[in-house]
Amino acid sequence: MINGRDAMLAPLQAALRAAKADEAELWVHRRRAAITRYAKNEIHQNAVADETHVQARVVAGGAIGIATANSLDPADLERLLADAKAAALESAPNADWPGLSGPAEVPEPRAFDAETARADAAGQAEAIARVTAAAKGRGFRAAGTHQVELTEDALANTNGAAAYAPGTMAYLRALVTSDTGTGWAEDLGWSTRALDPADVAARAIEKAALDRDRTQLAPGEYEAVFEELAVAEVLRFMSLTGLTGQTLKDGRSFMAGRFGEQVTGPRFSLWDDALDERTLAIPFDVEGTPRRRVALVEGGVAKGVVHDRQSARWFDTRSTGHAADPRRYSVGGHAGNLTMAGGDATREQLISAVKRGVLITRFHYTNTPDPKRATMTGTTRDGTFLIEDGRVTHALANVRYTMSALDLFAGIDLLGPQRLARDWWSSNGMGSIVCLCPPIKVARATITGSSPL
Amino acid sequence: MVPERDSQLADLVDLGARRGAAYADARRVEREYEAVAVRDGEVESVTRSADRGIGFRVIYKGAWGFAATDRTDEASLRSVVDEAFARAAAAATTRAAPVALAPVAAQRGEYRTALGRDPFAVPLAERIALLRAADANLKGPHAVSRRGSIAAYRTRKHLVTSEGTDVQQEIVESGAGVAVTAVKAGAKPAQRYDSRLVRQAGWEFIEHLDLPSRAARYRDDAEAMLDAPLAAERPTTLVFTPEFLALLVHESCGHPTEADRVLEHEVAFAGTTFMWPKDRGALRYGSEHVSMTADATVPGGMGTFGWDDDGVPALRTKLVDRGTFVGYLTSRETAAALGLPVAIGSARAEGWQHFPIVRMVNVSLDPGTQSYDTLLRGVDEGLLLEAPASYSLDDKRQNFHFSTQSARVIRRGALEGYARGISFQSLTPAFWARCDRVADDWELHGFLSCAKGEPLQLMRVGHGAAHARFRDVPIEVRA
Repeated sequence: MINGRDAMLAPLQAALRAAKADEAELWVHRRRAAITRYAKNEIHQNAVADETHVQARVVAGGAIGIATANSLDPADLERLLADAKAAALESAPNADWPGLSGPAEVPEPRAFDAETARADAAGQAEAIARVTAAAKGRGFRAAGTHQVELTEDALANTNGAAAYAPGTMAYLRALVTSDTGTGWAEDLGWSTRALDPADVAARAIEKAALDRDRTQLAPGEYEAVFEELAVAEVLRFMSLTGLTGQTLKDGRSFMAGRFGEQVTGPRFSLWDDALDERTLAIPFDVEGTPRRRVALVEGGVAKGVVHDRQSARWFDTRSTGHAADPRRYSVGGHAGNLTMAGGDATREQLISAVKRGVLITRFHYTNTPDPKRATMTGTTRDGTFLIEDGRVTHALANVRYTMSALDLFAGIDLLGPQRLARDWWSSNGMGSIVCLCPPIKVARATITGSSPL
Repeated sequence: MVPERDSQLADLVDLGARRGAAYADARRVEREYEAVAVRDGEVESVTRSADRGIGFRVIYKGAWGFAATDRTDEASLRSVVDEAFARAAAAATTRAAPVALAPVAAQRGEYRTALGRDPFAVPLAERIALLRAADANLKGPHAVSRRGSIAAYRTRKHLVTSEGTDVQQEIVESGAGVAVTAVKAGAKPAQRYDSRLVRQAGWEFIEHLDLPSRAARYRDDAEAMLDAPLAAERPTTLVFTPEFLALLVHESCGHPTEADRVLEHEVAFAGTTFMWPKDRGALRYGSEHVSMTADATVPGGMGTFGWDDDGVPALRTKLVDRGTFVGYLTSRETAAALGLPVAIGSARAEGWQHFPIVRMVNVSLDPGTQSYDTLLRGVDEGLLLEAPASYSLDDKRQNFHFSTQSARVIRRGALEGYARGISFQSLTPAFWARCDRVADDWELHGFLSCAKGEPLQLMRVGHGAAHARFRDVPIEVRA
């Protein structure tokens, strides 16, 4: 199942030995994704795909060319390097080119589990059956996904950099639907042992059962409890709009010109740490640079941004190991392993601290109408409740929330324990941000509209 | 024309049938992509990519199983067959009823994009020269970032099924875009861009775009938005460009008419719909001026093909007829599940590694009969929204929020300067009910990356629209 270091790295190194270029780099990302989707208590799609993405970056005359393919055959790699070189020769020299990375000691990969890499279709169906049995037992129906991924990343270049890391990911989501509403729960980790189907089912069922007799919330400002998935959604927009060298260079970041200043509340601290053994990450980036922990905001004070080699060059610093897959993110760094400081407040304590406000489980299809303020807008789903006098009293029709992340986090009153969570975009393959983040109770969240009952 | 037999695909399908599959198909896909980007007048990147592989799908024991590989040696293909059957067998343990497919006659033939000039054959120097000409027109007093790109895409696809279908397609697409960001002290940065300029066509489409003129218009818009006054926050008449409406149609009509949303296949990701089977023929989706059509036969459409990935030939069907919801986008499976005949084939997979799911084809707002000038003359006071910026939708496609890159003020039937800070949120039927006129200047747009499915699939889709007018739309204004 796993190809291993030699099978992934040796073809790259062999191809590079024959490369005729100033500098050349090959990066390969293999992904075997087994995804079982279920709806109405039945599996309706059950797919596995094994794909290998190879990217060649070649420097010729100071210009960079990129070509990609999906084969590690020697002839294909030779052709790929030639294509990348031809592309470089058509491009203009990059006066700011920082050069490819050199050899470096790469930390051992932590997010890999051999047993998870061997997970089969029967095991996935069994986990789903436990969720659907629990839902059916309540007269509800369950939908969701059980996903197991094996990845292998390898990078080599003509400067002698060589890195390899396997990774695994396991994910189970359950959306339980009753006659009156819906409830959501999920588990995420780098091992199938992190998935507890019975617990996922129980949490989703509890919310679905509570989601009845919905009422509408008028637009306005409310106290709020944001669960982990909702917090991850807000963090996504901070990351994309303000935590990278590129956004800083463009003056688009909320950090621009404000390092050392209080940009949000003192209870908010955020850092990027791909080496935290709880998160999903490989220990080097797509340029072969070992990943480093980067403090982003401490006690509400702007501290730093992440860099790849290009943005490090712009700011005369060194790469923090945050070069991203160029198929998804542009040059200039990507903060994709966010950790937000948590606390010890229980769920009950978060809710009981609210006089009148809203509990938000998660968001759907969010966006940012004002990137400079890291403003997010989006509708809630699968568990939106009114809290009155410290108790959940009503289910709410989904609400539209629109607010700057900085304003939201300025109002943090209480923090719960951290949990691994992804925003809607990343959990659905449209982004690559993983958060270790807490549920929070905030003094003020802006609700700008409501969906119908 | 009957395609040459692909023995590898035919062998896979034969093996599937011998092992007891009620249905099997094998699909070989090869994709090529080439793009050149210019930033601030210099070539920023030239990128080439390619991939190829085979996807194999079976219905076995009443359930789907799918496996895909980028290796075509015998051992890998045997393993793909084993995996597809194992996944179907595992899925079958949860099913109450077997998967059924709506009947379609076996198909044979070839489809190719009609090309004036192959975009891959255009010398890079010619593409770069065009981008540099456009870049020169993006320069303005406050432009801090200028970008342009031209791309070409080619997909070769061969589908063989156990029902006798054997079809080959070669689809070529061309696209381009320009973008400018203007910054001025004390003003909110202004961006003007378009990432939707794609067509199933050759280089002639790139020439048709007239990138230099478009760039000049974007520069003028961005510069003007820097100094534009805030709009007044009150309900007003909105006129939308075809480009803006293409996205509105996509999000608020295309997605909620996808039949897999009705069956809750997408409930845990993309969501469901507010347009249920009981609503067909009854739900007022919009005003009498609003009709929408799904059409996989539109020449040049990004959702045009010979056959979908179920082997259904390109068809055309109504989704909204004079304001009433009437139809769905379906696959063979979802049509059968809903008891519908195959009125449209919308089963599409992004690549070889993807299971075909219900996607849009070309979903368009039907044109009206009035000219744009006449439509505009009917506005005493209002706004022309030119291109979408941020957008956000709920999981039923019922509640949406859009903002705009640039807006023109309409006064007494004429365009008069700019206004900024405008966004609007609405419920879908309430929004389309406000449409009191659609113009006759229908034009086709396309999107490259409609996201749906797990693993995520980015699909090309087409949308036609004309200018249209909406009365008394509440707007939000933020500095």
